[in-house]
Amino acid sequence: MADWQERITRDTKPSIRVEHDLRYAAAAPIVRDAAAWADLGCGAGVAAADALGAQALGRVVLVDSDADALRQAGRDLNPRETVRVQADLATETGVAQVRSALAGGPPGIVTCFEVLEHLETFVPLVEALIALGAEGWTVVLSVPNDAFWALENPYHHTMWGEGAFEELRRLLPADTVIAHQVPLDGSHLVVEASGGTLEVPPVQPRPDAVPSHFVAAFGPQRERLVSRALAIPSDLDGRRTWERQRESTLAVLEAELAELRAYVKWSSDELARLNAPPEVRDQTPETLAQRDAAAP
Amino acid sequence: MKVAFLVNDLQLSGGVGVVVEHARQLARHGIEASLVLARERLDPDWRFRGLDEVGVLSLAEARTQRFEVAVATWWETTEALFEIDAARRAYFVQSLEDRFYRPDEPQRLGAALTHDLPVHVITEARWIAQTLEELRPQQRALLVRNGIAKDVFRSPAELGVRLHGPLRIVIEGNPGVWFKGVGEALSAVRAMGEPRWVTVVTGARDFDATGADEVVGPLTHDEMASLYATADVVLKLSRVEGMFGPPLEGFHLGATCVVTAVTGHEEYVEHGVNGLVVDWDDPRGTARALDLLARDRALRHRLRLGALATARAWPSWEQAGAMMASALREVARRPEPAAVPGVARALGDVRAAIEAQALVVAERDRLRYRVAPIERLDAVVERAPWRWLAAPLRRVWRRVRPGRVGAR
Repeated sequence: MADWQERITRDTKPSIRVEHDLRYAAAAPIVRDAAAWADLGCGAGVAAADALGAQALGRVVLVDSDADALRQAGRDLNPRETVRVQADLATETGVAQVRSALAGGPPGIVTCFEVLEHLETFVPLVEALIALGAEGWTVVLSVPNDAFWALENPYHHTMWGEGAFEELRRLLPADTVIAHQVPLDGSHLVVEASGGTLEVPPVQPRPDAVPSHFVAAFGPQRERLVSRALAIPSDLDGRRTWERQRESTLAVLEAELAELRAYVKWSSDELARLNAPPEVRDQTPETLAQRDAAAP
Repeated sequence: MKVAFLVNDLQLSGGVGVVVEHARQLARHGIEASLVLARERLDPDWRFRGLDEVGVLSLAEARTQRFEVAVATWWETTEALFEIDAARRAYFVQSLEDRFYRPDEPQRLGAALTHDLPVHVITEARWIAQTLEELRPQQRALLVRNGIAKDVFRSPAELGVRLHGPLRIVIEGNPGVWFKGVGEALSAVRAMGEPRWVTVVTGARDFDATGADEVVGPLTHDEMASLYATADVVLKLSRVEGMFGPPLEGFHLGATCVVTAVTGHEEYVEHGVNGLVVDWDDPRGTARALDLLARDRALRHRLRLGALATARAWPSWEQAGAMMASALREVARRPEPAAVPGVARALGDVRAAIEAQALVVAERDRLRYRVAPIERLDAVVERAPWRWLAAPLRRVWRRVRPGRVGAR
C-alpha cells in the first residue's frame, strides 16, 4: 500500500488529513471517557494522536494489518494499557482476534474509520460491530463517498456512496446516529508579525452539500456524536511535495508500462516470425531488397 | 448457514436472474444457498450464469431439510415459504408486484396481500423500502441493491466520441407486457426526425415492430453487453420497475438513456447528468429528446461520460453478495416480526378488496339489467323459423362487426 495515498502520515495532503482529524476529534469525547477504546484500521495513529494528545486514556486496542504502521501507532498516546493486534479484518480469524482482545473488560468505544472499503469482504467485521453494539460498546464508523466521484481507487475493494451507505445503515440499529461529512474551503489573510490562534467566522452550511464521507454511530454513547467542523493550516509546501511525488511516481510507472508494452509487442512479433514458414521467417528489409534487385 | 430462495421457475426473467446471482455469491461468505422451486418444473431452465453452481431443490425435497432462513422471491412463492422448516422467513421484494396487474385482475390483490405477511423484508431499491415502511411503519426493511456483472458488462477505459452515424437506440422489454412501454418507445422513435437505428431486444415476434430496424433476442448477458457497446442510448418507457436494471447495464458500456420517471430510476438516473428523463404518455416529447441526442453530439457524449461514471460507482455482484450475506445474517439475528400489525393490515386489504369486488358485482348487475332485453330477443331469434330467417343477417354481421379478426 502506497504510504502517501491510503495511509495518513504527517505528509498526507492536508485536505485529506483534516477529514481524518475531524472524525477522530468527533469521537474523542467518547474515547476520553471510555474504559476501553479499540481503533480498527488505526494505521500509524497520526490523526488519533492529534485528537487525543497526552490525555489519559483507558485500555487502548490498536488494530491494523500492517505491522510497521501498528508499531508507530499509539506512541503519542497516554493510555493505561496498549494492546496491538495485527489482524486482517476481512477474515473471520482476524475479527475473532479483535473480539478476543476486547473480551473480558468493560465495554467502551470502537472506532472504525475508512476500513470497510479496504476489505475483500466486510461481512465478518460488520457482523462483529453490530454484535459489539449489542454488547454495550459504542461504535463509530465511516465510509467514503467514492460513488459521487466514481473514483476507482485500486485499494478499495468495495464502492461506497449514498446507496451503499443506506444498505449498511439498514443493517445497523434503528437508532443509529448518522452524520454526513462535507468539505469546506477556506483561506486566511495574515498580517505580518501577527500571531495567535485564528477565529474562523460562522459558516452557513450548504443544504445540498455533497458529503465526502458518511459517518455512523451506534451504541449507548451514540448521541455524543455531534455536528462539528475543524480547520487546520494548509501546508502548501507539503501539498506540493505530495503532488509532485504522485506525478513523478505516475510518470515512472507510465514509462515502465510503455517499455513493457514495447517489449511485449517485440516479443509477439518475434514469436510470430519464428513460427512462420522459413521463406517468410528469413525475410528482412535487406533480404527483400536483395530479392527485388535480383528480380528481372 | 443454510438459506433457501423460493422461485416459481428458472425461466428467463430479470428477477430470477438476480436471485440466481445472489445464491451463487453467498457461497463466498460461508452460506449454503439453494433455489427451491415452489411449483413443478414445466419448461427447461434458462441458462443463467452460474446456475450450475447453485443447488436446485423441489419443494418436496426442501420440506425434508432445515434452513436458517427461507426467502420468498416472488409473491406466488410466499405460500411455500410457510411449508419449509426455517428458523426465520424473509421476503425479497424486487418490486411491488401488485402493480404488474391491472386493477380488475384478481392477482393484484393476491400480490398486495403478501406485503402484510409477518416476515422480514429485504429489498433491492430504496423506493420499495420506503414504501413498505410507510405501509407498515414498524417494519424495517433491509436493502441490498442488485449488483452488476462487471466482467460481462465490462466498462471501456475510455469512451470514444461518435461524430458520425445515426443515433443507435436500444429498446428492451417484452412488448406483450403492458407496463414495459415497448409500444410507446416504438411510437416515439417513429416520431423522430433525425437519423436513427433502432434495435428491439425481445423474445417475442408477434407484435407491431414498425419503427424498429431490427428485432433480436432473447439475448444472453454477453450478447446484451456487445449490443450496448454499440448503442448510444437505451430507450425505456416503463410504467412499473423495481430496480430498473437495463439502463444501468447500458451505462456500463457507455450508453446513456432516455427514460420515464419510473420507480427505480431515481436510484441512479440524473436528468442532464447521465441521461434524460421524459414525461409519461409523451411520444412527441420523447422523440424531441431523442432528436436532440442525435443532433447534439457534445451533449450525447457528456451524458455517455456521466453514464459511465455512474456505472463505475455501482456495486459489483461481489459487493452485492456481501451485502446480501450481511442482510441474511441480520435476518437470522433479528427476532421474528410481530404478526399482529400484519394481520391488521391484511384484514384492511381484504376489506378493501371486498368493497372493490362489491363494485364489480354492482356493475355486473347493472349490465345484466341492460343486457336482459338483448338476451330475450336472442332467445326469440333462436327459435326455428326466426333462426332460419336471421341466418343471412348473422353471416353479414359476423363479417362487418367491429373487432373481427381481419376487419379493417
